[in-house]
Amino acid sequence: MTTLRLSGVSKRYGGSGGSADTAADAGAGAEAGTVALQDVDLTVNDGEFFTLVGPSGCGKTTTLRAIAGFEEPTAGSVTFDGESVAGVPPERRNVGVVFQSYALFPHMTVAENVGYGLRFRTPPAGTTVDERVTDLLELVDLSGYGDRSPEQLSGGQRQRVALARALAPAPDLLLLDEPMSALDARLRETLRRQLARIQTELDITTVYVTHDQAEALAISDRLAVMRNGRVEQIGRPQRLYREPATRFVAEFVGDNNVFDGAVVDRTGTGDEGEGRASVAVTDGTRGTAATFELADVPANATRLGFCVRPGALSRTASQNRFRVSVETTEFLGESVRVHGRWNEIPIVLRLPAVPETGTDITVGFDPGDAHLFEAD
Amino acid sequence: MVRVGFRELLDRSSRESANSAESTESAESAELVESAASASSPERSTDGHLTTGGSSDTDTSSSRFRIWLEGHALALTALCTAAVLVVMLYVPTGIVFVNAVLENGRPTLAHIAGVLTDPFYVGALADVFADLLTIGAHLRSLAGWISAISVSLTVAFSVPIPVVDGTVPIPWFALSVPPVRQGLFGFTAVQAALSTVASVAIGLPAAYVLANYEFYGRRTLRSLTILPFVLPGIMVAVGFYAMFGRTGTLNSVLGAVGIGPFAFIETSPLAVVILAHAFYNAPLVARVTVAAWESVDVRAVETARSLGASKRRAFRDVVVPQLAPAVLTGALLTFIFTFMTFPIVLALGGLQLATVEVWIYDRIQNLDYADAATLAVLETMLSLGLTYAYLRYESARSGLSQAASAPPTEPLFPDLQTALSPRRLAIAGYGLLALVLFVGPIASLVVGSVTDGGGFTLRNYAFLLERQLGGEQYQALPWPAIRNSLLFGLATLAVAVPMGVVISVLTVRAGRSGTLVDTLAMLPLAVSGVVFGIGLLQGLVFGLPLPGGWRLQVTGPIAIVVAHAVAAYPFVTRNVSPLLANLNSAMVESARALGASRFRALLDIELPLVASGIVAGAAFAFAISIGEFSSTVILAAGNGSYTMPVAVERYLGRRSGPAIAMGTLLLAVTAASFVVIDRVGGRYEL
Repeated sequence: MTTLRLSGVSKRYGGSGGSADTAADAGAGAEAGTVALQDVDLTVNDGEFFTLVGPSGCGKTTTLRAIAGFEEPTAGSVTFDGESVAGVPPERRNVGVVFQSYALFPHMTVAENVGYGLRFRTPPAGTTVDERVTDLLELVDLSGYGDRSPEQLSGGQRQRVALARALAPAPDLLLLDEPMSALDARLRETLRRQLARIQTELDITTVYVTHDQAEALAISDRLAVMRNGRVEQIGRPQRLYREPATRFVAEFVGDNNVFDGAVVDRTGTGDEGEGRASVAVTDGTRGTAATFELADVPANATRLGFCVRPGALSRTASQNRFRVSVETTEFLGESVRVHGRWNEIPIVLRLPAVPETGTDITVGFDPGDAHLFEAD
Repeated sequence: MVRVGFRELLDRSSRESANSAESTESAESAELVESAASASSPERSTDGHLTTGGSSDTDTSSSRFRIWLEGHALALTALCTAAVLVVMLYVPTGIVFVNAVLENGRPTLAHIAGVLTDPFYVGALADVFADLLTIGAHLRSLAGWISAISVSLTVAFSVPIPVVDGTVPIPWFALSVPPVRQGLFGFTAVQAALSTVASVAIGLPAAYVLANYEFYGRRTLRSLTILPFVLPGIMVAVGFYAMFGRTGTLNSVLGAVGIGPFAFIETSPLAVVILAHAFYNAPLVARVTVAAWESVDVRAVETARSLGASKRRAFRDVVVPQLAPAVLTGALLTFIFTFMTFPIVLALGGLQLATVEVWIYDRIQNLDYADAATLAVLETMLSLGLTYAYLRYESARSGLSQAASAPPTEPLFPDLQTALSPRRLAIAGYGLLALVLFVGPIASLVVGSVTDGGGFTLRNYAFLLERQLGGEQYQALPWPAIRNSLLFGLATLAVAVPMGVVISVLTVRAGRSGTLVDTLAMLPLAVSGVVFGIGLLQGLVFGLPLPGGWRLQVTGPIAIVVAHAVAAYPFVTRNVSPLLANLNSAMVESARALGASRFRALLDIELPLVASGIVAGAAFAFAISIGEFSSTVILAAGNGSYTMPVAVERYLGRRSGPAIAMGTLLLAVTAASFVVIDRVGGRYEL
């Protein structure tokens, strides 16, 4: 199948290139001369489920549109299996695209929608167009819905028709642009599992765009976190969750407590990884120093950022203890999420029992549970 | 369960590369290989994932041509449209402008200066134009004029009431304004302003009732508001004759109760002309206002109420600001239309009530082209300015959101007690007035065609038949008029629909820069039929010398059809563009990702979804061609290409009977095209 590679892809609106109108269409923040993508490098392996995730305006949709051929990058290259697709119009890239708005053709039946792509591409060997449409509807659990009009379907059903339509011509790549954002939470989870099942079954290289980091973590083989047109970090979900490379990733992916400060004290030799280093958080007067294994702290770093997941902060930990004033609590069933503050820094905790609002509690963390990254 | 695995895909692509089907896809892919070869690695293989077909061995030149044609179809149609517009719109209009500033082949401003300083044309402003720099003197005379205005309150102003045979004193403001010479332009503007006021005054109550009350036939009535717009002006004029004429319906009714007869048209032609203009434009005002009213989000009103605003206050603060733009739009359009009014004034007022347009027509009849051209230029500049204002305003407004939840309507006459409330009685009274104004002329037309002084007669139709059988060569015959109207209507349809659709596609696709295209393409709305007519006459009918001894000459039926098409295509565009603009762009992108070329996506997705707009636009184009009078009467002069409206005007002599009969036939044909509009579904735009 297909390996997708983007190298140094940039996209600028306005100025030269005559794409000012597309910029107007793109809406938010797309003024003249806006940089939508800046040096995006990524590789999606054959059969991989790859997700682009980030806040709105981060360039994830523009990246997807550049892959599909709806936008031409101003610099850099997009290759499918090593072959450049520069100048190849969307209809000849053999990609399947699913949009958030479904974009079903309202004047066609469900079956006609699914079969539309087969007017231009022959169905896979041994199947007729009708068989292919039936098969695809069966794949998305919509057998028998072929004669309906899209207007008679629910939101989730429409999205599945859109998926079947995109898959019918057996595309080399499946591109999904926020396909579930318009659906309610429960339906989204069901569809997500269905999508994961179909993707694995077909073993099709898939690029999925979402702003929902939890969804991205749950569904992806690998994901790229994007911000302001740049890729911040690429990796497997566990790695991004445990070892965020930047403060932005640390804050964006999952609940987190993020700190930064100056490296104020190094003890020990550091040659054998022995010794400790302290990082003074806040201005150093009221702040507390957190200590780490010296081996984890880069030798020449003067400032560092680090993060501690809510679950790693406990009242029983003996090191790196600090006092948190409890502001609000959310009962989650198995645990309680506590929002509080330490020295004006918002802190989120996960505790087994509900603490009294307005009181102070002391928590700490094991240095090994914290993850260090370069300060901004 | 289906499996479309790696192997299967591999099979597919290898099978396809071996497959040498003579399909479009294979040719397309071949083209792709060529175009991609330059951009990609030289060792690119033919079974690549980007291609869907196989080798290029089987390409024929005809399939290549088809692909080329498909790729360039839009551009070609756009080119044809541009050519038609240039030859049939810009060149003729340009010729009028050039003739206005040329004297024996040399440029001069004498014509324009002559018109601007002639009190006959510009009234009191002539002095100002004659000597622009003596501002002090102008201001002094303005001040003198203002100081001469006197306002007085008289208690004993008497109104004669014929029924009680006496006079009733009522308090009355007397406003005495010293006379101002309006001139031709001044009068045209004044009658347009009065017509606008009348149209808004009659249209707003209709909008109120249609937007707020539920009653039997409300939907039908709402869609009927489009009807006056497609009625030929000359026919409406004849209808008003049949209603208000000396032997008209109104006099018959009044005569039955012993009053009259009154010579309404002869004694107060201006009032009748203004009523006729209101007949046309009040429904337009009502229509745009109802649309705005129905798009008011009722949640916003409820929010205002919950924040403490009274019902009246919420109406003033929330509803009125959203209605005002629509009312202004309607008023502006009404002013533009009535400023350029022609057939109604010509038929009802004649030269004693001449507007600029009628006077231009008169100059042409007297072969005084220089004067006509100069007047035409001045009139066009005025109307262009207004149209530009309208388009600017409209585009500023188009960003307004649609209502989430439309305001509720209440039953108009739920029970007897409510029906007798003052408000309902006022509505009933208004309904009666509307009945007289809107149904009266049409009904009178039909009734008038089969009656004569009270009794039933077929004499008028018999006259048409006689004329058909024994008419002279120079006379207008009924059947050729009907045949020409239908043929020209169909031909107009065939030309105007592609033009309109292409311009829609181009404007929508151009996005923001589309406004310029839109304005240029909407020029026909601002150029009056008569101006357009002389442009065609002087340019294409008389012929234009081309380099190499050729002459560009377009005459007779072709000139008329293209003139109609140019007048009609904006209505196609205005019906198609909103539908096209509202299409989800992801739909076209999905189609393209599925393998459709841009042109195929247009055919498969966009056009079917805007079909209702296209058909409505086509019906408009047909109706406009059937009813077009101004340029047709100029282009049909001296040849056999007259249409039904022209025939009506020619029959309008001492006896109105034959014209009324011809007008009724015209009504029948127009009504048929309206039925098509209505059947196609409830959306049309002006």
